[in-house]
Amino acid sequence: MDEIRMPKAEYNHHEMVVGIPRSLLYFRYGVLWERFFQELGVKTITSAPTNLKIMTNGSRRAASEMCLAMKIYMGHVESLIGKCDYILVPRILDFGLRRVMCVNFEALPDVVSNIFFESPIRVLSYNIDVSKKLDERRAMVEMAVSMGFSHGKSNKAYKKARKAQNEADSRAVKQNEAKYKNDGITLVLAGHSYILEDEYIGKPIMQYLNENGVNVVRADLVDRKAALRESERLSPTLKWELSREIVGSLVMHVHDFDGVVLLSVYPCALDSMVNDMMLRKNRITHVPILQMTLDAQTGTAGVETRLESFLDILKMRKEVEAGNGREAEA
Amino acid sequence: MAEKQKRKIAFPMVARYNEVVRYFVEEGLQQTYIMQPQMTRRTLKLGAKYAPDMVCTPFKTVLGSMIEALEAGADTLIMVFGYCRLGYYGELAETILRDLGYEFDYLNLAEYSTGKKKDYLKAIKKLNPDAKAVPMGKAGLDGLKMIEYIDEVESYYYQNCGFETSKGEYRRALNQFTADLGRAKNRSDIDDAYDRCMSRFHEIPTDKGAFPLRVGVLGEYFTVMDEFSNVDLEQSIADLGVEVHRWMNVSHRNIHYPGEKNLHPRISKYCNYEMGPTSTANIWYAKRCAEKGYDGLVHVKSAGCTPEIDIMPVLQRIGADYKIPILYLTYDSQDGDAGLQTRIEAFYDMIEMRKKVIR
Repeated sequence: MDEIRMPKAEYNHHEMVVGIPRSLLYFRYGVLWERFFQELGVKTITSAPTNLKIMTNGSRRAASEMCLAMKIYMGHVESLIGKCDYILVPRILDFGLRRVMCVNFEALPDVVSNIFFESPIRVLSYNIDVSKKLDERRAMVEMAVSMGFSHGKSNKAYKKARKAQNEADSRAVKQNEAKYKNDGITLVLAGHSYILEDEYIGKPIMQYLNENGVNVVRADLVDRKAALRESERLSPTLKWELSREIVGSLVMHVHDFDGVVLLSVYPCALDSMVNDMMLRKNRITHVPILQMTLDAQTGTAGVETRLESFLDILKMRKEVEAGNGREAEA
Repeated sequence: MAEKQKRKIAFPMVARYNEVVRYFVEEGLQQTYIMQPQMTRRTLKLGAKYAPDMVCTPFKTVLGSMIEALEAGADTLIMVFGYCRLGYYGELAETILRDLGYEFDYLNLAEYSTGKKKDYLKAIKKLNPDAKAVPMGKAGLDGLKMIEYIDEVESYYYQNCGFETSKGEYRRALNQFTADLGRAKNRSDIDDAYDRCMSRFHEIPTDKGAFPLRVGVLGEYFTVMDEFSNVDLEQSIADLGVEVHRWMNVSHRNIHYPGEKNLHPRISKYCNYEMGPTSTANIWYAKRCAEKGYDGLVHVKSAGCTPEIDIMPVLQRIGADYKIPILYLTYDSQDGDAGLQTRIEAFYDMIEMRKKVIR
């Protein structure tokens, strides 16, 4: 902290607008980002929920082998061009030992700036890298300082934003965990939050399940610390933060649900290995698991057929179990 | 005193480096090393059968060669780790093998990657509790030298083998070198093997011409180094009469890695952060080849390799900036090489014509 900081003339934060793509980590840090910039007095604009146009535009922009979530992200970035000066693309490497993020999040700012290098946007980024002692607070404060804000103001903004995010998280977790106690068939949707909450790929599935009278619980909304601890018991060298939360959440509630839908996008690097591991470990508990991989499809008929038959299995199992229970009582 | 039962240690096939592991296990740890047969289609089929279908291809080959090592009689397997999906290979492969009913001891170095270097000693102690520090250190250093020699020989080989006047001379020398390393018992054996191979290389008459075509090969760590995984890519390119250059190998990436700190400033025009475990090196190498006026680049990766997919936009930009043609190759568990051959030939025709026009 001994360097002399010159105010940077290129940032004029009274008129500057920061674009936030409603994709990937938005569903994890959305409140934090929006509140942070609000506290600093910077205008933000969030892209519209995913629709077919965003998805097709994104697929055109992204490299063809990237995962669907990345393609959708590129669509969101494209939809923000012309509406803002900067686009917030954080780079998150890890949160500590065996708590790394997918490589995509490590490369994201550079992927965006290289794909869109001819477009009139610039990438605004903060860098979380614990091995270089850059935690979230320091990273975000450094970003704000580089934008010309004072240390004190940025620090204060971060604190408020983090508090708001924590509150929002714990509210969501509480709401979600309460659902485990509901009656009826409890089905856990296990997938990254950016898949489940995506308007175009995840939401229709949740909606379909809800309409069919299933008690849907999300695996990704969980007490993160406890989930990390539990995941280590199941798989000691599992190192991806996002996967560990989901795995840990399933372990914590293994007796509370009737079935699991492993929802991933094609071709998710993490899920390709972790889902297989879960299927193998599941031989002890014998919970029915449906493994579903979504790609850039436009219809939902195929997905619905598979969900329907899976629900039938769950219902039959429940009836058989109830029957066995009665026999045992008699 | 009855001699203690020695472990039969094996390591998945990685390019030519298994001889190094053998040397370290036999001379340093004083245990038996089991060398599985060279990888074939059967290896890949075995791996693809039991591995999850969307995992990257190296996992399938590694799993296949682990199965072949167990079939060859190994009772202890070693697995390394890395910073991408490779970090989870160890545990998943173990689970799959145990589910298949194999019984073996397993050393997954990912379990020891706690950030403290001391913990790796524990891993060695697990293999042989009586391991002596001095022979082990010596074998370790010899092993490193061996890696350097292998990389040097390979690099020389692919840069020159396309221009030999009588076909097959270079190949014979390289095969002799590999065989010599397989028999090496001490440092002087290793040095002799290297000296003999290099002096034979230098004696082979070549016809290079003033301006040979030069192609840089870069890409994913495992696939780019392993001849089996990339279906002899470098040989196929070299056979057309091309100097094939490749930076990515163990001595450059692991032993003498210049470091993120030194490489990154040279590519700061293209990216602000490190994009993945080998991304910085690959982007830097692509840029260097372009600056040196190479005639083309070949980017190699296995299907679904996230770090390499992520640098593709950067490579495309480098290609556009420096006007250098880039061939992108994605490898999966395919059986034939005809399609690959056609693409390589078409690429060769293009860069050759281009060279004639530019000169």
